[in-house]
Amino acid sequence: MNHDINVKKMRLNCFRQSKVPGEFMLQMRVPGGMVDAKYLSYVEHIANTWGDGNFHFGTRQTFDITGIKYENIPAVNAYLEQYIKEVDAELCGVNMDTVAHEPQPWDPKAGYPTIGARNITACVGNYHCICGNCNTFELARKIEPIIFPSHYHIKINIAGCPNDCNKAHLCDFGIIGVARMTYHPERCIGCGACVRACEHGATRVLSLNEATGKIEKDPCCCVGCGECVKACPASAWTRQETKFYRVILGGRTGRQTPRTGKMFLNWATEDVILGVLKNWQKFSAWVMDYKPEYLHGGHLIDRAGYKKFKEIILDGVKLNPECLVAEDIFWHETEYRSNFNVKPMALHHSAGPQNG
Amino acid sequence: MGFSLTPAQADAVLSALKQDYRVYAPKRFPKQGRYSDTDVIRYAEVERFSDIVWDVKSDYPAKEVITPIQQAIFYFTEDEYRASKAKTKPILILARPCDINAQHIQAKIYAGNGGYEDLYYKRVRDLVKFAMMECNGGDDTCFCVSMGSNRTDDYSLALKFSADGVQVQVTDDAFAPYFAGMAEADYAPAFVEENQLKVTVPDLDDKAVRLALKSHPMWKEFNSRCVSCGACTVACSTCTCFTTRDVIYGDNPEVGERRRVSASCQIAGFDQMAGQKEFRSTAGDRMRYKVLHKFHDYKARFGERHMCVGCGRCTHRCPELISISATVSKVSAAVEEIKASMAQQ
Amino acid sequence: MMNPVQPQACTILSVKKESVHEWTFRVATDAKPAHGQFMQLSIPMIGEAPISVSAQGEGWLEFTIRSVGKVTNVIFEKQAGDTLFLRGPYGKGWPVEQFKGKHLVVITGGTGLAPVRSMLNMLADDPDYVKSVHLISGFKNEEGIVFHNELEAWKEKFSTIYALDNDAKEGWRTGLVTTFVKEIPFDSFGGNYAVVVVGPPPMMKFTGLELMKNGVDAEKVWMSFERKMSCAVGKCGHCRIDEVYVCLDGPVFPYTVARDLVD
Repeated sequence: MNHDINVKKMRLNCFRQSKVPGEFMLQMRVPGGMVDAKYLSYVEHIANTWGDGNFHFGTRQTFDITGIKYENIPAVNAYLEQYIKEVDAELCGVNMDTVAHEPQPWDPKAGYPTIGARNITACVGNYHCICGNCNTFELARKIEPIIFPSHYHIKINIAGCPNDCNKAHLCDFGIIGVARMTYHPERCIGCGACVRACEHGATRVLSLNEATGKIEKDPCCCVGCGECVKACPASAWTRQETKFYRVILGGRTGRQTPRTGKMFLNWATEDVILGVLKNWQKFSAWVMDYKPEYLHGGHLIDRAGYKKFKEIILDGVKLNPECLVAEDIFWHETEYRSNFNVKPMALHHSAGPQNG
Repeated sequence: MGFSLTPAQADAVLSALKQDYRVYAPKRFPKQGRYSDTDVIRYAEVERFSDIVWDVKSDYPAKEVITPIQQAIFYFTEDEYRASKAKTKPILILARPCDINAQHIQAKIYAGNGGYEDLYYKRVRDLVKFAMMECNGGDDTCFCVSMGSNRTDDYSLALKFSADGVQVQVTDDAFAPYFAGMAEADYAPAFVEENQLKVTVPDLDDKAVRLALKSHPMWKEFNSRCVSCGACTVACSTCTCFTTRDVIYGDNPEVGERRRVSASCQIAGFDQMAGQKEFRSTAGDRMRYKVLHKFHDYKARFGERHMCVGCGRCTHRCPELISISATVSKVSAAVEEIKASMAQQ
Repeated sequence: MMNPVQPQACTILSVKKESVHEWTFRVATDAKPAHGQFMQLSIPMIGEAPISVSAQGEGWLEFTIRSVGKVTNVIFEKQAGDTLFLRGPYGKGWPVEQFKGKHLVVITGGTGLAPVRSMLNMLADDPDYVKSVHLISGFKNEEGIVFHNELEAWKEKFSTIYALDNDAKEGWRTGLVTTFVKEIPFDSFGGNYAVVVVGPPPMMKFTGLELMKNGVDAEKVWMSFERKMSCAVGKCGHCRIDEVYVCLDGPVFPYTVARDLVD
């Protein structure tokens, strides 16, 4: 088979190269992993018309359709127009005629303009889950227009609660829905159910004061999971109305330096989260000297250093009074190779504007 | 005497009533539910007509107004226990017929059992008048008709709510002045005559059947299903149990209060004496104790009627989705089985 | 309005150590409980507990308290002259009138002796009240023995069997009280007897079964229950068993009622 295909251009268009030369796998964005079930018929149609009839749940919650022949990609892209318009433009409010917020007209027949910011994943969140503290996919839909379309890469995972089923700890920017609780002692019957729930499922921050029959809390170590609220038979614990989020930064998988993320923000409001993410392009551009590379966010933070990251990413963001910010972060990478970072100067990465 | 009020007029009447009464009604507490973005509806003093939740039943019962989850019953110093004082302003409670019937059931215990009248119950109860909220049929956990608690005549006002306002029947002349000048209307309350859910309470009069039922394997199901949290009893319209507890103020051990706090027979330790084993050590034992109280023991003691009013709040609040009506059906099945096996012997 | 749960301050007259774990407090009060009734005893900040009256006299009552639970632990710090709070008496005591002229069998386990102590003292003082008293008193071990003086004195007045569960003691038997039930000469009573049983729940259960096995008439047996209580006036619900409230209908129950109560 004689192919002459620019596979990088295909990747940018969200078609992944197959081990079978000339075949590709389409990755359809599903922000927050939740869409109207009617779009499954789109998946079915593409798979049966141009693909090999199979469909894979992408690890980042994309609809992945395998076995699409290169020559069929224009037809697939033309068919995708409605899906992209309805899901990204209408549902999420994405301005498709921009890239990294700079004007760049989108050809609706040409499919996705960039693979850049990766699909935002989310657990089902409080839309369904008894543990969830926030509506994860609604948040994803608010974030989607901030990070997409853009050639700068970022992986965002949203977890509805600190159980972190969606692995906010293993992506560039993990968001965890947390709740701040209010204790209503006049409703407390002193049964200790919350104490046991916290001990069993969280961080043991509650104790029953035997002298008063009331609960005492170490608020510092509360992870904000809301298990106490769930356990209380009398609604003596309630979640505050305001939604709060924890941001876990710089986690990743990979062949070189996999690591879990560390806490960057705690008790941040949605406004703060969105404000911080609005600075993402600016930070990425600064690190890479305004030349996007296929490089994920965590690596950019490594290059810039956390303090520089913090400076740019918090620029102009008004933090809510409860919000806590990591002064410094020390990640711990898997040591596949000792002294991994000790290498010839020529192999060192640069960060920031490169003069000359 | 009947009236028809717009929401604005209802607000005016409510503020006039509030001059003379503490007015309690089901009120929505947004996002205070067990799960994120769910609400709690519970009794609280209402400020305006729109505070009153009338279209769905409250999560927590009206009893909280009269016997709050926690109350100080004494203040103590070295040599004296002094009874707490209560507010004396009269109380008007907006309640459905099941809630009002529940108060009559609680009264048998608080104001009658053993010939002792509980001061803390009585002094509040004597201040209470009911504004009966005509029930729109409740929900699929309700079975008031089966329990005979769908009707009541213990009310000073009857109210029928709608989005357009409220229709009022005044049966207690003391309330007539608050409605002076309002549009008269011919309104008499209707009562729910049929629930979607029907519960047949099994006949447990036979002592041998009862004893056999207590050791029937049906209760074992709850050892794995019930988490013994007590949400059912806190939500119950008629549960009265409480524990007293002395609490000191600050660092002076000589000054403090004796509190009464709601207790639950479903929570481990309810029957536990210091240094001794529990009598009911499993969730199944505790469920059996509660169910038989509601559907046999109370009536056996006080006659007249069962303790359960069929409000369905226990089912509604159970985090493990245990239905009281389904449980009673299981009891009925067990009783049939027991009777059949006794007949064979 | 009367407040049935109002505690009254009372002065402690004396404190006597009965055993390692049991202390007897004599408290000044005008309360006149019937034999077998109980009082609610409280100490500010610690709380309240039902305690049976173990002896009584003119202007005083005695309470024998075991060192379990936070209430009793603090009670042990109290001395003569200190204040305790009492309310009561509550419940139904022993039907002493019905015992008149009968052979009375009293079977106790451990501190179960306390709720019958005042009645036994009365019978010791008034030997003609009943035809005879047969007392079986069992204790876990020597450390658990209470009312040493009375036990000695009663030997003279009653027909006694004192026993330790496992240990040997001079003049005492070894074994559970149930073992000795068959030694009571029920046949010689001509049906004119009453039996009183008090002790921990398993002891009462098995003693009841043993009595039945020995042909004792269930209607002539009485038991005293101990259950958790907060109010003692039928409100708090802790002591309810079936349709019965131990605080109101007990603590003393006829065996015909007691045997069918399932907690």
